[in-house]
Amino acid sequence: MDALESRRGSRVLSAGNVYLAVVFLLLYAPILYLIYYSFNSGGNMHTFESFTLEWYGQVLQDTRLIIIVLNTVVIALLSSAIATVVGVAGALAIHNARSRRLRNTLFTLNNVMIVSPDVIIGASFLMLFAMAGITLGFTSVLLSHIAFSVPIVVLMVMPKLQEMSPTLIDAAHDLGAESWDVLSRVIIPYITPGILAGFFMALTYSLDDFAVTFFVTGQGFSTLSVEIYSMAKQGISLTINALSTLVFLVTLGLVVVYYVITTKGAEAARRASRVISSAARSNAGSEVKA
Amino acid sequence: MDDIIVRFENVTKQYDNDPPVLTDISFELERGKFYTLLGPSGCGKTTILRLIAGFTEPTMGKIYLSGQDVSSVPASKRQVNTVFQDYALFPHLNVYENVAFGLRVKRMDRPTIDAKVREALRFVNLIGLENRGVAGLSGGQQQRVAIARALVNEPQVLLLDEPLSALDLKLRAEMQYELRELQQRLGITFVFVTHDQEEALALSDEVFVLNNGVIQQRGTPIDIYDEPVNRFVADFIGESNIVPAVMVADGLVEFLGRRFECVDGGFRPDEPAEVVIRPEDLEVTTVEQGKVQVRVDSLLFRGVHYEICCYDDDGNEWLVHSTKRVKVGDRIGLYFDPDDIHVMRIGETEAEFDRRLESYATQGGVADGVQIA
Repeated sequence: MDALESRRGSRVLSAGNVYLAVVFLLLYAPILYLIYYSFNSGGNMHTFESFTLEWYGQVLQDTRLIIIVLNTVVIALLSSAIATVVGVAGALAIHNARSRRLRNTLFTLNNVMIVSPDVIIGASFLMLFAMAGITLGFTSVLLSHIAFSVPIVVLMVMPKLQEMSPTLIDAAHDLGAESWDVLSRVIIPYITPGILAGFFMALTYSLDDFAVTFFVTGQGFSTLSVEIYSMAKQGISLTINALSTLVFLVTLGLVVVYYVITTKGAEAARRASRVISSAARSNAGSEVKA
Repeated sequence: MDDIIVRFENVTKQYDNDPPVLTDISFELERGKFYTLLGPSGCGKTTILRLIAGFTEPTMGKIYLSGQDVSSVPASKRQVNTVFQDYALFPHLNVYENVAFGLRVKRMDRPTIDAKVREALRFVNLIGLENRGVAGLSGGQQQRVAIARALVNEPQVLLLDEPLSALDLKLRAEMQYELRELQQRLGITFVFVTHDQEEALALSDEVFVLNNGVIQQRGTPIDIYDEPVNRFVADFIGESNIVPAVMVADGLVEFLGRRFECVDGGFRPDEPAEVVIRPEDLEVTTVEQGKVQVRVDSLLFRGVHYEICCYDDDGNEWLVHSTKRVKVGDRIGLYFDPDDIHVMRIGETEAEFDRRLESYATQGGVADGVQIA
């Protein structure tokens, strides 16, 4: 009976595996195709002549491109850092809202911002900046990136706040802590995993944003995704492939870092607690004997 | 007057438009005593604790600590510390830093903090665990960290919110001894909240029995056990046989159609009342010698004694604790002494009970049977 069930289980699993493999192949095929031809000396994307790093060389020699990369990184780091501060404050405000209804409403409004189409957000920012008289460029891009990153940070921080027992805050007050100490010594350390996750999410969103940036960027200022788009419009050049490959690898790197931080952190904590609890058990045993 | 550490003056607590959690509560707690707030869940005992700690403010009335009105003083400014039901240890800090928390936020210097933390850890037997994370500690160890973390601030009153409820039976019994010993060593006031009546009786100098936001009775464990003022207290504290009765005259009560001598008084002639007899005060004897005749219905072996459930001819249930062995279906007699009978006036409050006790004690009626006046 058990054997039968497990055999059926494994067959279902293998069919599922095949399906999953096909889906992932389809998803990654275009990127792999692009990466493959980024090494083509033929200069086209249909016949592979020989291996070359020429296109990568061109990318690295293009100072204008390097400035754009720097722009992108600066925007990403600055916007996600500011968005993290604003987002944490926002999450705390939502969490401390007096009524449950208000709390839910605010959190839902926050989540609507995440799912609403980038094009609409971009267009509305464009109108806002035009009305406010802000010239399009670094400032407008930074402001809009902060704006769409804040809800992401809120989303990542809220679960940690909800998970925190309210008696922790009572305990801190009980021990003589005023509001600032409660925030800096209890709440912030507790929600740090959520803050880090929010920061990294905001970073990746900002790095690869195209739609919003496309609307609000102006003369003489561009980010990588917008630049790749305009290069692609001018015609096929394998420098696009090389550049995209580099962007892809950096993004992949970030995802890996994020993954390691979240799972290793959790696992290390779990392992540590296992070691400690077994030690505590033996300790308790010796206590009883004593 | 200087001996009073906590004083509640007509305190009422009400959240929004819900019925009040506490209604017009007044009491005083003395320095250096072990108090227990006992009652079923929702009776308001935890609210009293939170009011003393300062986590919440009274809707009406005043709270005094050491004679000062602290009704609107926040928790962080009160010389009171709490051991929480879930311990509320800070998960990101190790044992040492958890205990040091209160001293760090008071900006004490390092050597002072170090000395105090080590002393507190030694006090609760946790030396050697300073650098452990709190998540991996056993329940008993977490409990002791919580106690050390509270005591290191040298509170005048230590509040304990059902701190033993998460522990297993054996550890709980051990911790009861430890807590009692700790309180005697420190000589500070402990206010302990529990719904476990055995715990309350074993630990306390004085017990407050609460129900529906009102203090039903306060007194030493012996007072509360032997002289419950009403049916709720009699039922909640220990097990009891409660039968309807009529108080014929002082020292004479009628129930089950017969008259018995008793030691209570101060009732109106022929006033309806309730009689409480504790199961351990009933003695199993022969049908002829018994004051009440019953038939054994069921029998449970409890280790120290048998718990015998019987019914009399009127269908009243009688619970008996006895070491004598009986058989199901046996007809037996139950014997009790006059001072095993405790007569309660129906619906009497604590204040009325005290007044009645005083009135008939001063009349010189049957005061010798009443030890508490």
